[in-house]
Amino acid sequence: MIPPRLVPLVLKQLVRHRVRTGLTAAGVAVAMFLFVGVETLQQGVRRATGAAADDTTLIVYRENRFCPATSRLPQDYVRRIEAVPGVVSAVPVKIVVNNCRASLDVITYRGIPATDSGGVGSIAGKWEFLAGSLEATASRSDAAIVGETLASRRKFKVGDSFDASGITVVVAGIIRSSEPQDQNVAYVHLEFLQRAAGKGGGLGVVTQFTVRVADPARQKEIASAIDDLFRTEADPTTTRPEKAFVAQAGADIVAIVGFTQWIGWGSLAAVLGLVANSIVLSVQDRVREHAVLQTLGFRSGLIARLIISEGMLVGILGGAVGTGIALAVIRSGSFSLSQEGMSVPIEASWSMLLLGLGLSTGVGLLAGLVPGWRAGRTEIASCFRAV
Amino acid sequence: MTPRTVEDALIRCERVTKSYRKGENTITPLEELDLEVPRGDFLALMGPSGSGKTTLLNLIAGIDRPSGGRLFVGGTDIATLSRGRLADWRSEHVGYVFQLYNLVPVLTAYENVELPLLLRTMTGDERHRRVRTALELVGIADRHDHFPRQLSGGQEQRVAIARAIVADPTILVADEPTGDLDRESAAAIMDLLCRLNAELGKTLIVVTHDASCAQHAKRTLTLEKGRLIGSPAGVQA
Repeated sequence: MIPPRLVPLVLKQLVRHRVRTGLTAAGVAVAMFLFVGVETLQQGVRRATGAAADDTTLIVYRENRFCPATSRLPQDYVRRIEAVPGVVSAVPVKIVVNNCRASLDVITYRGIPATDSGGVGSIAGKWEFLAGSLEATASRSDAAIVGETLASRRKFKVGDSFDASGITVVVAGIIRSSEPQDQNVAYVHLEFLQRAAGKGGGLGVVTQFTVRVADPARQKEIASAIDDLFRTEADPTTTRPEKAFVAQAGADIVAIVGFTQWIGWGSLAAVLGLVANSIVLSVQDRVREHAVLQTLGFRSGLIARLIISEGMLVGILGGAVGTGIALAVIRSGSFSLSQEGMSVPIEASWSMLLLGLGLSTGVGLLAGLVPGWRAGRTEIASCFRAV
Repeated sequence: MTPRTVEDALIRCERVTKSYRKGENTITPLEELDLEVPRGDFLALMGPSGSGKTTLLNLIAGIDRPSGGRLFVGGTDIATLSRGRLADWRSEHVGYVFQLYNLVPVLTAYENVELPLLLRTMTGDERHRRVRTALELVGIADRHDHFPRQLSGGQEQRVAIARAIVADPTILVADEPTGDLDRESAAAIMDLLCRLNAELGKTLIVVTHDASCAQHAKRTLTLEKGRLIGSPAGVQA
């Protein structure tokens, strides 16, 4: 944009006007902090609810129910679901949460059978054990495999015990999973959870079935076939792709997060206004200085580019600080927005850092365009006459 | 004084007029002015306020454009150059010294003098050598790391002169270079300008109100109401 030998000139202008630069960059940082926070939420929602062409997971839930406390299905449905053509596996899942409402700190128990087929073996393929092992869960009935986000937020280690909803478990392993829903739950033995949650009377009843199908293109057809099986039963079902199910179960969260996008865009607009205002004031203060530069032979375009570079550098500086702090807070907090047992992961990512830096740079550039162009086009003689 | 021909003239103004609008009125600070300035000349332009001295200086320096007539500098009709080409021409041919110095306040003396060289492709060592030489020539090398606010008026003007000569321009123009200085500093600045003209052969045009400053020049021309009076173009005043 400008020759390298002129970069120090731009840096000196910024460093030696440190109060103005610092205040502008601080404003940019605050706005970018907000933007990155909101955009991270949006990204989490997209990740949790956005359908992909290779999705193969269906959720079978009690018809017209959206809360784990009210979805009660007979466990023996599993054999009939497994018999539907195209189904690879079906896992009965009991879900217990310590808070049904939207919250940043929910503990979700998922009880699944300890079997290789139709149990933990069907879903453990996506897990990477960060501590402990699957084998360690076999030795005790109250063992729990905890997702990385939950473990990090509650600072759980293997061997720790914790209590939620009156159910006490012991951490036997900590996992990282490519599935967003696995990251914020504690997997426990199904029978243990049925007994603990139902005070002994919950055996044979589960919340949902997690079904894997062979062909992603046949998800809809298989979902209909499953629901047809139980249409006349006392407990009819509704079967949906997992991402669609999360979007419906967490509809409140999705709606709120969707609204927050306006806060994000508002923050960006604030950055634009702030940097533009700072540059306009700076250019007004330096009318004579720019006229002198033109007298020395600086072309109009070069002066415009010097001014735009200042805006970009302030944008980069503020953007780096704001984005960096936002991502550090998000990473250290290990937040996960949960509702009805479904989680929306809030995770710091490199792509968000690049997005924050790119946008703040772009906004800095945009903010400098008009003042830069006007400064470069000013008639030199009139500047000396007017000032 | 050596007789001159048109070919000898470094600067040649042919019926140069400058006018601009100010509200409802049209102001004409220069009207059909003819002037020739030979290479190596030291010309003082005098006249009352509003006589068109600074306007003429700005036209010759290429920071303003004539409304009529032709203005040749070194054989180039600078009135016909595009905005960008005129900027390039200024960087190569003109050194401008302002009455109020116009140093960039956030840059040190060294960095101010370095500015014109940032437009040229040269090594950092070469740039450093030329800046040091210019600062030494004007006798301010020991204050190279001072900011303008840390310098006296005379010192600031020395830095401004160093900035004007560092790129080795063809013409050096100065608009009331001593107008903001005390008598002693003014004399020192005029001595410095004389030296630049005598030792480096720089063509020098100085606008001044001060007759004692004008005495340093090889010739003086007087302007009144946009016209040269008393001393015909190119004739010793």
